[in-house]
Amino acid sequence: MSQIRFDEWVREIREAVGCECEPYDGIQNEYTIRIPAANLRDVMGILKDRFDCYHLSAITAQQHEDRPEELEVIYHFWKGEGISFVMTLPLESLVIESITPDLPGADFYERELAELYGVSFSGREEIPPLLLPDDWNQPPPFLSKKD
Amino acid sequence: MRKITVPIGPQHPLLKEPLSMKLEISGERVLGGTLRLGYVHRGIEKLAQQRTYVQNVHLIERICGICSHVHTTTYCSAVEAILGIEIPPRAQYIRALMCELERIHSHLLWLGILAKHVGLDTIFMHAWHDRELVLDIMESISGGRVSHAANEIGGVRFDLDEENETLIRTNISKLHDQVSGVLDVIENEPALQARTRGVAPISTDLIRQYCMVGPIARASGLDVDLRRDDPWPPYDRLDFNVITHPDGDAWARTIVRAEETRESLHLCEAILRDLPGGDVTVRAPRKVPAGEAVTRSEAPRGEVFYYLRSDGSDQPARLKIRTPTLPALSLLPEQLSAINVADIPVVLAGIDLCIACADR
Amino acid sequence: MIEGLFFLLFFPGLAFQVVCGLAFEWLDRKLLARFQRRVGPPWYQPLADLIKLFSKEDLLPKGANHLIAALLPLVSFSAVLTAGLYIPVAGFTPFSFEGDLIVILFLMSVPTLAYYLAGIVSLGVYSVLGGGRSLLQFFSYEVPLLIALSGPAILGQSWSVAGIMEAQTVQGPFVIFQPLGFILAIVGLIGKLKRDPLDIPSAKSEVVGGSLTEITGTKLGLWHLLMKVQAVVGIFLVINLYLGWLKYLPAHLSILVFVIECLIMVVILSVTSAVFARLRIDQLAGLGWKILVPLALLQIGFVILMGV
Repeated sequence: MSQIRFDEWVREIREAVGCECEPYDGIQNEYTIRIPAANLRDVMGILKDRFDCYHLSAITAQQHEDRPEELEVIYHFWKGEGISFVMTLPLESLVIESITPDLPGADFYERELAELYGVSFSGREEIPPLLLPDDWNQPPPFLSKKD
Repeated sequence: MRKITVPIGPQHPLLKEPLSMKLEISGERVLGGTLRLGYVHRGIEKLAQQRTYVQNVHLIERICGICSHVHTTTYCSAVEAILGIEIPPRAQYIRALMCELERIHSHLLWLGILAKHVGLDTIFMHAWHDRELVLDIMESISGGRVSHAANEIGGVRFDLDEENETLIRTNISKLHDQVSGVLDVIENEPALQARTRGVAPISTDLIRQYCMVGPIARASGLDVDLRRDDPWPPYDRLDFNVITHPDGDAWARTIVRAEETRESLHLCEAILRDLPGGDVTVRAPRKVPAGEAVTRSEAPRGEVFYYLRSDGSDQPARLKIRTPTLPALSLLPEQLSAINVADIPVVLAGIDLCIACADR
Repeated sequence: MIEGLFFLLFFPGLAFQVVCGLAFEWLDRKLLARFQRRVGPPWYQPLADLIKLFSKEDLLPKGANHLIAALLPLVSFSAVLTAGLYIPVAGFTPFSFEGDLIVILFLMSVPTLAYYLAGIVSLGVYSVLGGGRSLLQFFSYEVPLLIALSGPAILGQSWSVAGIMEAQTVQGPFVIFQPLGFILAIVGLIGKLKRDPLDIPSAKSEVVGGSLTEITGTKLGLWHLLMKVQAVVGIFLVINLYLGWLKYLPAHLSILVFVIECLIMVVILSVTSAVFARLRIDQLAGLGWKILVPLALLQIGFVILMGV
């Protein structure tokens, strides 16, 4: 497997998407880039077309104690080495554009996020229940909202 | 022909763990279906945030009843990465040894289940009988047949002594014979081949699109194995073959898993041969400094992914677990369309379902 | 009158058939267990299973017809027992007449049809699937089986089992002239008994319990019992048609030979179920019509040539 030439990847993504994308020394064993949530779909396109990087290991969502008003979402990709794209969403509008048109395998990860954290994904069909019971009518169980 | 909806699960003789499928069937043909998970969702990711790092080792072990060791290994290496400690070489080797034993045990169990599903109970019984040899080894090392509690942060809790090593050597050489025998049978059994060849093939392209991992990916010709491609020690020092098969059907998945069992037997022997001396554990602090880490391991079913964030306390701030069955399940509705009713068990067996893993 | 009742209830009727059924089942299960490195059940296990089933609560889904569901196993049980009466046991033939082979074959297919109906009337998804499969399977094995079984009849120039046995005492056992027919008869028998590897209608991992998924208690017990007896009748029939040369042996010797032949048949059935994987229904249909039927015709052609 080819190793990730990280600088090149960052430069390409910056040029092609034209967004802010700051690599930082966050996650161990993993290249980490912070990108705006709005550009996720474009970045995915670059990864797929330009770098042939398909493998999405997981999508993590988490809330930081010092920033309770936002949800951090991390897309963990892998191509010989791990590369993570970190984005933050305000709790008022938890919307991300779905990457399932490019990568159908993201389906279950997105559904898990939608059910457990209440994130809604635009640009994909309605999400039927996967993990929670059919008659679940309470807020997403993993999301803590401080009111 | 009239369409009928057949429920498979949550309780069904085909399933060892709860999973619910609703399949549209016309005659003997499956037209498609939907899938529901969550019957064994225990919220372990959330639970882990309320337990200390040390307690979590034992919680994580309960995610899966088959590949429990690889889960704790991946978790411990994530904690160790944030702590910045390196475990002694002997501990690394013992961890890898347990991982390989677990792979042998998991693959033999799987082979038995496949055989049972196609009505070949003899192979089922023989495969599970041979699996006892592996469980005996596990028991002699750790005292536990399935949940070993062998890992701790900073190393392993059990050392190998002379007696263990002899038992491993004798059982492994017995297993070599048994596995060759079973392989010989399945390769020459016309009915088993008739039931698996050409059933539910997955193209390499689909494998990539659905982020499939492990033996399923390798059976479709995708040459990926984290033990070689993204190794943690001692796998970078061990020499082994990654088994792939171009066909992508249920037969290819059978052969890949069977050959992998053999490869793991060789790996166990190599690990025993190279086993360094010294301690098996280093002291790890109870509190973990703030930081994030990702670790991946090759479980029997493929890539196990752990993301861990620490906020400096003695409890993780976030632990994300992705198990290999989840992507495999996402392709299941697709695989279950346009097949025969009789092929449902073969398709399900081919995935090597571990619902407890997928639900967490 | 008394003699008639004895024939019906004890030998070669009900009691004898049931005891043989239980014995054969135990032997089969024990052998299978030994092939699979298991210990296997004790000798009374088949009987214990039956008693347990008979003592269980009798349930059916809402809307299912209890009367028909109860009649089906009863009718097929009597059909199988009646068939058993006409089959010579160790050369002993109380009710033999010219043409009884045809009656036996007809009575032996009653359980299959009843099995199909049981699936339909018990109103379960898996029952319907299993019932449909049992009919498909019936059409695949029955034709080659019938063609194959007409071989001995042609060669023995009789449509009575006793007559065919008599012919064999002169010409020698028919298995020598019709090895192919013998094998086909065994395959057909496996299909009829829905035994592994042709347990397609009741494959647990595919259709749960087949037609009998929703059947419980006494009815299920009756079904199991009649299938055991069906196995006995089928085994006796095949032995008589292909290995029935013992009519003029001394009585004790002929019983011994008959028992040994029965054991060999059970072993053959056990081994087949141990070493083969279950076929898919389309594979069975292909096997039946593309391979078994031509082979059966070939055997018949050979037999007719021999007769000429």
